[in-house]
Amino acid sequence: MTTYTPRMNELNGQGETAVRETDILQTAETLRWQIGQNFHEQLMEDIYTEAARIADRAVTRAGEKPRFDMDRTIDHIVTSRVWGFPLMVLLFTVVFWLTISGANVPSGWLSYIFLDTLHPLLKEGATAIGMPWWLSGLLIDGMYLATAWVVSVMLPPMAIFFPLFTLLEDFGYLPRVAFNLDNIFRKSGAHGKQALSMMMGFGCNAAGVVATRVIDSPRERLIAIITNNFALCNGRWPTQILIASLFIGGLVPAYLAGFVSAMAVVGIAVLGVFLSFAVSWGLSRSILKGEVSTFSLELPPYRPPRIWQTIYTSVIDRTMIVLWRAITFALPAGAVIWLSANVMIGGVSIAEHLINLLNPLGLLIGLNGVILVAYIVAIPANEIVIPTVLMLTVLVTGATGVGAGAGVMFEMDGSAVRHLLDAGGWTLLTAVNLMLFSLIHNPCSTTIYTIYKETGSKKWTLIATMLPVVMGFIVTFLVAQVWRLLAG
Amino acid sequence: MPDPLLSLIIAGFLAGLGAALFWPQRGLIPNWQKTRQLTNRVLGEDAIKHIHKCDMDGRRPTVESIAGALHISTNEAATLLDSLQTQNLLFMSKGEIHLTPAGRDTAMHIIRAHRLWERYLAEETGYAEADWHGQAEHFEHHLTPTQLTALEAQLNYPTHDPHGDPIPTATGELVEHGGQPLTTLPVDKPGQIVHLEDEPEVVYAQLVAEGLHIGMPIRVTEITPQRVRFWANGDEHVLAPIVAGNISVLPLPETTPIVPDSSDSLANLHPGETAEVLSISPACRGAERRRFLDLGILPGTRIIAEMRSPSGDPTAYIIRGATIALRRTQAEYIKIKRVQHAAS
Repeated sequence: MTTYTPRMNELNGQGETAVRETDILQTAETLRWQIGQNFHEQLMEDIYTEAARIADRAVTRAGEKPRFDMDRTIDHIVTSRVWGFPLMVLLFTVVFWLTISGANVPSGWLSYIFLDTLHPLLKEGATAIGMPWWLSGLLIDGMYLATAWVVSVMLPPMAIFFPLFTLLEDFGYLPRVAFNLDNIFRKSGAHGKQALSMMMGFGCNAAGVVATRVIDSPRERLIAIITNNFALCNGRWPTQILIASLFIGGLVPAYLAGFVSAMAVVGIAVLGVFLSFAVSWGLSRSILKGEVSTFSLELPPYRPPRIWQTIYTSVIDRTMIVLWRAITFALPAGAVIWLSANVMIGGVSIAEHLINLLNPLGLLIGLNGVILVAYIVAIPANEIVIPTVLMLTVLVTGATGVGAGAGVMFEMDGSAVRHLLDAGGWTLLTAVNLMLFSLIHNPCSTTIYTIYKETGSKKWTLIATMLPVVMGFIVTFLVAQVWRLLAG
Repeated sequence: MPDPLLSLIIAGFLAGLGAALFWPQRGLIPNWQKTRQLTNRVLGEDAIKHIHKCDMDGRRPTVESIAGALHISTNEAATLLDSLQTQNLLFMSKGEIHLTPAGRDTAMHIIRAHRLWERYLAEETGYAEADWHGQAEHFEHHLTPTQLTALEAQLNYPTHDPHGDPIPTATGELVEHGGQPLTTLPVDKPGQIVHLEDEPEVVYAQLVAEGLHIGMPIRVTEITPQRVRFWANGDEHVLAPIVAGNISVLPLPETTPIVPDSSDSLANLHPGETAEVLSISPACRGAERRRFLDLGILPGTRIIAEMRSPSGDPTAYIIRGATIALRRTQAEYIKIKRVQHAAS
């Protein structure tokens, strides 16, 4: 304004306009202090109120329609004090039961096709065309096998779980679950909808992290993302079940074994839920204190689920995307696993060097070098932890008659596994700590990448990755020391 | 295998060491960082702020008062004043400390930074009210005038900080809030809270705990030397006069209040009951308030409580045809008038 005024003076020779303009500015400046402190809010509120008033006056509605009776009835049942929780537990038990028992059969088929049939065929084909052993090893034993493994373990449960979950979502039931459970989540500083992303996390953590999009409050969404890893994902269930049935089920008489080992696995899953509450509580009171937090939860009307559309979109949007990401990570991981077992330095493979290096640390926390190395190379997918552990154990113990050669992952019958692991120096403590570490360690690379995509922040990705590993080391360390003290 | 007991002891020791080093605020490293930040510049700025505050309150700043306010010894305070004098930020006249125009500019900049930052914390972050002041005490020394101009634009040129203190303009102009202490408001005369003094902290914490906020309508019903009884935004409060004196109010013209005394909040509406919104409490700000407006919760809106979660909280309400669940703490922000309804 100051540069403008002299020109105005020249133009009209009197300077009256200029004086008037400064007057206006001065008046504005004075008024600015008089209109009150919250005038922006006040203005906004008045605009909204006026808009609502005009709409109410101008729009005639065909009689105030009461809420759809059916909706009310369903709502009053699914959120009632008596039926709310039992119904919820029942529904999710059914979903998980369908997933676990339903996935076994197709998993068996895929494993038969990809691992038992196609893999030897490919090997023979490679030999027939004169492919050098190292190339066929790297491509077929390494990259192909790891990918095939991930697909056959991962695909069936996801293809069942996601559509079922999406059906519940489409019907409108899931927001009611958030409504029922919000109080518990509120107490740990989280949002009721975290129940949904957590549930989704039991299927796949990457999908669970994507599912946090429904949480519109920034702080609670970050909490849900960071703690999603504590939902035991479907890639980790096989590890838990195998180790529990071999080591924990073996402690009790045979007729109880099934039940006890199942309880051990459920116990780990429940511990995961508990940890995610505890970590949510800690996060909301420390590093996430400054993030904005608001709450609102819409309970949309129920509608009949569109079954085919749901199945189509959930298979395409959720299953395929997650599977594709897993494959892109499993391919290089397979190569790394094969190379680490086959590239020799000073007559010893890289894997063995690493195992020897990590063994003291592993033993200190009640695990061993083999498990730690397996968890490093299996960052891309939790599904291949057990096959990698078995392969490395054979490599280290030099056991003969088992396995399929250095760098080739394999699986076998329970008693043979137990035999091999015993030879690898495993104890009950190793088994318990492996179960704990399988729950509390870094998310797989697919999930880490998804977290990065969702948060767009390196800081939160790093925290979400490192927090569980550090916790895992602390927990296994403490358990190991206390165990040894008590065991003498 | 290392001895388990020994490992545990070593681990415990390491954990203790880590905590001693890194514990927020009390650990050695945060402490060391804090002392490192307490450079002469920061101390000098704090001293200038103190002198300015004394000027405003009509008190005389002394070496002792500066030492007390900055938690340093009188010797250090004297040295500090010397160096400020050589920087031409203050001068002594007849044994009294006065700010030079340059010193006043510095004071204005610091106050502007402090209040803008508090406003920022209130509007755009999730920090609790009690954390604002402490954070602003730190950031006021680290914001440049350019950053402040950008921050001011981002916040839509606010005039006041969240406690009701006016924010100085970039050119250093400062207007007073113009309120009077609550204790001087005549009984039964309507007023509005325009300022809550944020120092001393104990008193301020009490005001925050009472749920008082600037912008709230207020009416005193009883003043005795022992207590002040008043209605603010539909709730009754009783405070000691010394605490109530930290509330500044502006008298309002006599009109029917928007929020009558003993108004109910939405949180007390039982499932099946209907109510009309009177107002959203001024204590509800930022993202939270915008969300309410987005949902169409406005003065005059009809709300029906529909059902309560089996765990007791939240409650679902029917608002403009949609079913929305709100938590109890949120519903408490919404003042209502109950409506007898003949079939929704």
